[in-house]
Amino acid sequence: MASVTALLSSCGAITGGDDDVVTLDFWCWGDVQTARVDAFNASHPDIQVRRTDAGGGNDTATKLLTASRAGNAPDVACIEYQTVPAMVVSDVLADIADKTGPLTDTFTEETWQLTDFEGHVYGVPDDIGPMVLLYNKARFDELGLRVPETWEEFAEVAAEARAADPDTYMATFSPTEFGNFAGLAQQAGATWWQVEDRNWTVGFDDESSLRVAQYWQDLIDQDLVTAEPLLTPEWNNRVNRGEILTWPAGLWSPSVIYSIAEGQAGDWAIAPLPHWEGDSNAVALQGGSALCVTSNSDQVDAAVEFLTWMATAQESTDAQIAGGQYPASLNGQAATAESPPPALTGSQEDYWEVATEAAASTVPHIQWGPNVTTANDAFADAFSAAVRDHTPLTDALRNTQEEVVEEMERVGFHVTG
Amino acid sequence: MSGNSPPRVPSSGRGISKFLAPYVFLTPALVLFAAFLAIPVLYALYLSVHGLRIVDEGVFGLRKEVFVGFANYADLLADGSFWAGFGRMALYGLLAVPLTLGLALLFALLLDHGGSRARRFSRAALFIPYAVPGVIASLLWGFMYLPSTSPFSYLTDKMGLGTIPFLDGNGIYPSLANIAIWGGTGFNMIIIYTSLRGIPPELYDAARIDGCSEWRLAWRIKVPLVAPALVLTGLFSLIGTLQVYGEPKMLSPMTIEISQTWVPVMHIYRDGFVRDDLPMAAAGSVIIAVGTLLLSVGLLRVTQRRTFGGFQ
Repeated sequence: MASVTALLSSCGAITGGDDDVVTLDFWCWGDVQTARVDAFNASHPDIQVRRTDAGGGNDTATKLLTASRAGNAPDVACIEYQTVPAMVVSDVLADIADKTGPLTDTFTEETWQLTDFEGHVYGVPDDIGPMVLLYNKARFDELGLRVPETWEEFAEVAAEARAADPDTYMATFSPTEFGNFAGLAQQAGATWWQVEDRNWTVGFDDESSLRVAQYWQDLIDQDLVTAEPLLTPEWNNRVNRGEILTWPAGLWSPSVIYSIAEGQAGDWAIAPLPHWEGDSNAVALQGGSALCVTSNSDQVDAAVEFLTWMATAQESTDAQIAGGQYPASLNGQAATAESPPPALTGSQEDYWEVATEAAASTVPHIQWGPNVTTANDAFADAFSAAVRDHTPLTDALRNTQEEVVEEMERVGFHVTG
Repeated sequence: MSGNSPPRVPSSGRGISKFLAPYVFLTPALVLFAAFLAIPVLYALYLSVHGLRIVDEGVFGLRKEVFVGFANYADLLADGSFWAGFGRMALYGLLAVPLTLGLALLFALLLDHGGSRARRFSRAALFIPYAVPGVIASLLWGFMYLPSTSPFSYLTDKMGLGTIPFLDGNGIYPSLANIAIWGGTGFNMIIIYTSLRGIPPELYDAARIDGCSEWRLAWRIKVPLVAPALVLTGLFSLIGTLQVYGEPKMLSPMTIEISQTWVPVMHIYRDGFVRDDLPMAAAGSVIIAVGTLLLSVGLLRVTQRRTFGGFQ
C-alpha cells in the first residue's frame, strides 16, 4: 500500500504544476462505472474522466479497434481478459510496464498474469469472475437435493432432480457460451492457446477439453440437462418457474439471474464449483475485464493514475461490490467481507466466504489467443450444429480447433501443433 | 468547345459561363454521387484487395494492412459456409418472394374489385405492417414463435398437440419468410393497386360488353396490364432477399438454428465487425453487389420484352 501511495504522489507531482485540467476519455460499460467515475472526478480536480458506454465487452472491443485505427481511441478502455491479446496484436494498447511496478502487490499473481505478458503490461485487472455453482436453494430444499461437490456427483444429483420433478433440469448446456465452456475446460486442465517467441500452439481438442465435452454430451443424451441458448425469453421463463436448478458460471451470475427473476431474490445461493474427482478445487475465471491505456493516448501518466485509483481506492472497490462485481484487487476482495451479499443470494450468510475461497484458488497461467472472437463464433456455430443435429460435441470441438488454426495460419501467425 | 459556340456571342465571359453552366448545374448531383456512392464503392474495392497480416513484432506479432491481391475473394469463394448461406437465402427467397407478390396481387385485385367494401380501412390495415420497423417486427414474431410465449403453441398445447416447432429444424424457413411476407405484402400491394387504378376504365367497359366475367377480367386484362408493376415489385423483393439480414439476426439469439453465417450478409457482418476483418467483409460485399446486379439485369432482360414491349 505504501508503494501505491508513493506512485500516486509522484503522478501528482507531474500534473500538479500544470494549471490545465487533463481530460481522460474512458470507454466502459455497466452502471457500476458511473459511481466510480464520479467519485474519481470529485477527488481529482486536475484530472477529469469522461466516460462513454460503448456497449458490452464485444461491442466495445470492436469499436475500439476501429477508433484506434482512425487514431481517436479513448485514453482508457475496459477490455475483457480474453480479448486483450487480440487488442495487443492490433496495436490498440500501450505497454505500461514501467509505470505499474508498485501495483503488482495489489493483485494475486494469477490475476496479474491476466494482463502481463512476458513483462509487457497492457492493463490493470479490474474485476474477475471466478467460477462458482449458483443454485436455486429453495428448489434444492423442496426437492430434497444435496449440493454436488464433484462433477460426478453433479450428474447423480441431476438424475435425482429429474426423478423428483420431470419438468425440472439440473442445468442448461449452452452451445453458444464459449467463455463458460472455456472455464470448465480450463478447470479440467485444458490449455487452448500457448505462445512462446511468437510461436503459437492451439489445443481446443486436447484430452481435458474432450473429456469435458463428453461429460456434457452424456448429460444431454440422458436428458439430464437442457441444451439451448441462455437468457432467451424461453430460458428466462424456465428459470422463473424454478425449472432450471443451477448455473455454473462466474461470480457475476447472481446479478444476471436477478435481472430476469427478481421474484426469486433470496432463493438462490452459491457453492464452490464442482471439481473432478481426484482433482484440486481450483476453478477458472469466466468473464471480467481489465482497464487498459490505449496506444493512441498521449496522457499515459494521468491514465495510470486513474487506473491506480480504480484498483486501490476504497470508494472505487465499494462501488464495484455494491454493483455486483467481484474486484480484481486484493484490497477490494478484502472489503467484500463487510458487504451484504447480492440480492439474489440475499439470505446466504457465507456468500462472500465462498466467493473469496473461489477467487483464492484459480487456475494459473491462462493464455488467451489472438483471435478469440473467431474461436468464439466458430465454437458457437459448431456446438449449436452439434446440439441441433445430435452429432458429438467432441467433433464440434475438433471443428473449432481446425477453424481457429486455419484462420491463424491464414493471417500469418506461426502455429506449431 | 469554343469552336462550337456561335460567332455572334460578343464577350468571352458569356462564352465561359455558357461553357460552365451545365457543370454548375451538374455539380450538386456529381458531388453527392461521388461522396456517397463512387468513393465508398472505390474504397470497398480497395479494401477488398488488402488484408491484415501478422508481422514479427511485439509479444504476439502485430497486424498490419498489406496488399493481398485476390486472396480475400479466393478465400470466400472456397468458403463453404459463405455458399451455404446463399443456399439458405435461396430457400427463404423461394418461400417469401412468390407468396409476398401473390398475396399483394390478390389483395390489390380485391381492393380494385367494384364490389369490395371498407376499402380505405382494408388498404390501411394491410399497409400498416410495412410501417413497423423490421427489427421490431422480428422481435414481435420471435416472441410469438418461442414455445413458452407463443399464443399459437399455447393453443395447440392445450389441445394436446404439443408446441409448434417454429424455430426448430426446417420450421425456421417459413417462420422467417412469414415475417417478410407480413411486412412486405402491404407495400407491394400499394404499388400494384396504384398501377391498377391507372388502367383506363373504358377497357373494362369494352370487356364487359363483350361478356367478360369479373374473373376473366382480372386474369386476362388486369394482371397483364399491371405486369410492369409486378416486375418492379419482383425486383425489389429479389434485392430484398439478397440483402436479408435483420430478421435472421434478430431471431438468432432465440434459436440454435441460425448460425453467425446463416445468410451471406450475416457472413459479411461477422467478418467485418466480429472478426475485425473489414477487407474480407469488403470482398463479400463486392461479390453480393455483383451478384445482385447480374440477377437484376437478368430478370429485367427476361421480362422486359414481354411486359414493357407489349403495349408501348
